[in-house]
Amino acid sequence: MTSDAATTVMQPSGRAWLRSIGEALLPLGVALAIAALILLVSGFDPIEVYRLLLVESFGDARRIGATLAASTPLILTGLATAIAFRAGVFNVGVEGSLYVGGMAAAYVGFAATGLLGFLMVPAALLAAVIVGALWMWLPGVLRARLDVDEVVTTLMLNFIAISLTSYLVNGPLLAPGSANSATPMIADAARLSPIMPPSTLNTGFLIAVALLVLYAFWSSRSALGFESRLTGLSPRFAIASGIDVRKVIVGMMLLSGAVGGIAGGIHVLGNIHRFVAGFSPGYGFTGIAVALLGRNSAVGMLLAAILFGALTTSGATIQLFSDVPIEIVNILQGMVMIFAVARFGLLVGKGRP
Amino acid sequence: MSTHTLETPAPATASAPIRLAARGITRRFGAVVANNAIDLSVRRGTVHAIVGGNGAGKSTLMKIFQGLDRPDEGTLLLDGKPVVLAGPADAFSRGIGMVHQEFMLVPGLTLLENLILAKEPAAILGRIDRKAALEAARRLEKEAGVSLDWDMLVDDAPVHVRQIVEILRLLYRGADVLILDEPTAVLAPAQIRDLIALIHKLKGEGRTILFISHKLDEVMQVADDITVLRAGRVVGSMPVSQTDKGRLAEMMIGEVLTHPTARPAAAGAPVLQIFGLAARDSRGIERIKGVDLTVRAGEIVAIAGVAGNGQDELAAAVAGLVAPAGGRIVLCGKDVTQLPIQERRALGLSYLSADRANEGLCPAAAIADNALAGHHRRPAFCRSGLLKAGAIKAHVTSLLDRYSVMRGSPADPVSSLSGGNQQRVAIARELDAEPKVLIACQPTRGVDIRGIAFIHQCLLDYRERGGAVLLITEELDEIIALADRILGLYGGRITGEIERGTAHLENIGRMMLGEALA
Repeated sequence: MTSDAATTVMQPSGRAWLRSIGEALLPLGVALAIAALILLVSGFDPIEVYRLLLVESFGDARRIGATLAASTPLILTGLATAIAFRAGVFNVGVEGSLYVGGMAAAYVGFAATGLLGFLMVPAALLAAVIVGALWMWLPGVLRARLDVDEVVTTLMLNFIAISLTSYLVNGPLLAPGSANSATPMIADAARLSPIMPPSTLNTGFLIAVALLVLYAFWSSRSALGFESRLTGLSPRFAIASGIDVRKVIVGMMLLSGAVGGIAGGIHVLGNIHRFVAGFSPGYGFTGIAVALLGRNSAVGMLLAAILFGALTTSGATIQLFSDVPIEIVNILQGMVMIFAVARFGLLVGKGRP
Repeated sequence: MSTHTLETPAPATASAPIRLAARGITRRFGAVVANNAIDLSVRRGTVHAIVGGNGAGKSTLMKIFQGLDRPDEGTLLLDGKPVVLAGPADAFSRGIGMVHQEFMLVPGLTLLENLILAKEPAAILGRIDRKAALEAARRLEKEAGVSLDWDMLVDDAPVHVRQIVEILRLLYRGADVLILDEPTAVLAPAQIRDLIALIHKLKGEGRTILFISHKLDEVMQVADDITVLRAGRVVGSMPVSQTDKGRLAEMMIGEVLTHPTARPAAAGAPVLQIFGLAARDSRGIERIKGVDLTVRAGEIVAIAGVAGNGQDELAAAVAGLVAPAGGRIVLCGKDVTQLPIQERRALGLSYLSADRANEGLCPAAAIADNALAGHHRRPAFCRSGLLKAGAIKAHVTSLLDRYSVMRGSPADPVSSLSGGNQQRVAIARELDAEPKVLIACQPTRGVDIRGIAFIHQCLLDYRERGGAVLLITEELDEIIALADRILGLYGGRITGEIERGTAHLENIGRMMLGEALA
């Protein structure tokens, strides 16, 4: 598991920064190189394909808007994952928090119509936070008290969350007269405002970036951030230093779930405006790659989320303008994910001191 | 070679061929030159000791000999031929094997399984030929003059048995050059004698042994040749007959040390009281059985015992790492038996762990973080849950300066420091907040002479200021140098008490072996 050993209460040296940036960029470079080989073998010009990908994701304001919109849920799921990772908890259940959080936000959005308009969004997001956090309470307590492997519990909870929400939208919460597995549309007042029409980019992106900034500050400047980092690096040391490791682990799981819930809430309030069964194409899992590629750092995760967002938006349109199949883009995305986990730093140099 | 005694190793013939040599080996880590133009010649069939303080470059050189690291400059010669080692496996195939300070046996496997690991005798269908394995084990046993229960799990084997298995493993895989890194650090005095006997036996069979240590007594007993390293350079290389302890110490340190000064104690009120304490280890076996003891302000009380007699459990129970199975612990008049570790710390308890790499420090975290941990919630460093960066930076810098921690940036990981400097960070953190009582476990383990003197002075100064120390150590010299009272611990019980002044190696040794004092 990666840990952000580079962060400390003291500022690391400039060289350490350069090194960590290099380590973060290397996986991307290797992934691009291998994907280029695959493209070559399949008879495409890799330079041309990459140029097209770049244009389709960042070519003009509309495309940039689409890319940022696609990266919004990934910023949040990456952040949720990183919060748990840095405390040494391998939470792979952000997808589940995303589902239950999205459902909670949608419910408030269409049911709580008695609320004043400007309260709708905060109330819906609050519901998403509470439900998302509670979703992670059980695996957190099981890990902290009984040492039950969180990978197993959180992974299983994903399936429960997906099935549970699917049941709800097919039964009690199904929109009247609808044949789709979806809730009614949320009230207009509960929708996040677009900030770059005609793209779907909305204020949810700003919330996500604000949370990243808060996270950067929290992780390096707060006592809890310090404690959770030490817990992640060496639980035994943390215990001996008088840190209540169980409390830290449960707390970080709740926080991770809360941010996962917000991810779902923002996706519902900003993009689809109701809850639809199976509404996530694996945002929670891509979030794991975002956290790993971004090495749990705020800037790193922002860039990683934008990268994956760009691959998503350009992948969708590249088929329209070339005969490159979407699978090639998926392969590229998969490559980046695989190499995000590799620690190339270990290969550089002749070994470690 | 015929017979030889422990005290006087048989002088190896000066004309013995050079088995292993280094020529101008230089290895840099950033700005630090860990090895600086090292020249070394190790004669076949001799014990060659490499001595030097922490950070002298011993470990780096040994890693290079083992193929774990490569020099930036210089050459390795095996039997006079230059070689480039690709890795430990390559080193093994050329006859070089190493026993690391931290043993590398696989838990959950038996001693026999560990012995044959990576070179298992195979029967039909790739099954392990147990009979052949056991035969090989018995042969090695005879060769080494030991006798082991090969079906014992590694987890159940005492430390010295694990070490013998590590050594036999090298023999099993055909090594004739054995590198032993601080092999006596974990052993009791009697076990050290056995180990030295084993080393002499192996030498008698024509093997070459590189013995890394900073304990000069042992080095004088075991070595034929000695090479002294200091700050990455060779400061001297000579046959053992041409030197003595004093000269070696001088070469290692480069300057004359002031010995720690112990002033007469003026013990005050009881600070730590333990009544009928019982504690179990992680497997539920009772290791501490009804221990009573008191430590007063301004007093150092030492626990003398052979490893495995309950010291670890005693320390863990007092520190609050494990719940005691019975009895009471009273800190400054307050019963803390049921309190969690953080509340004990708040009451003035400090704990210097014997396990520096896993518990005393967090190797991957920054030096600054290690120096701060545990104090980070103090009002001086933290307000409303937010850390005060400026105050912390000033505090950490002053702390590291006061404890003379040789370092690069405080943001570097603590693992970038030498062992002695790491321990200074741990001591600085534990003593800095002026605790009421310090549980000091193996405070100088793996620390060089200069570091030991410094740490001893820290403990004595702390006592002078009215601090209470419960000292748990396997170093008898340390106990004699520091303790006001010495309690013997054997089989989980206190076997006796000796006041400072009447303590000497002999009566402490008797307590450690469970003999009641007359």
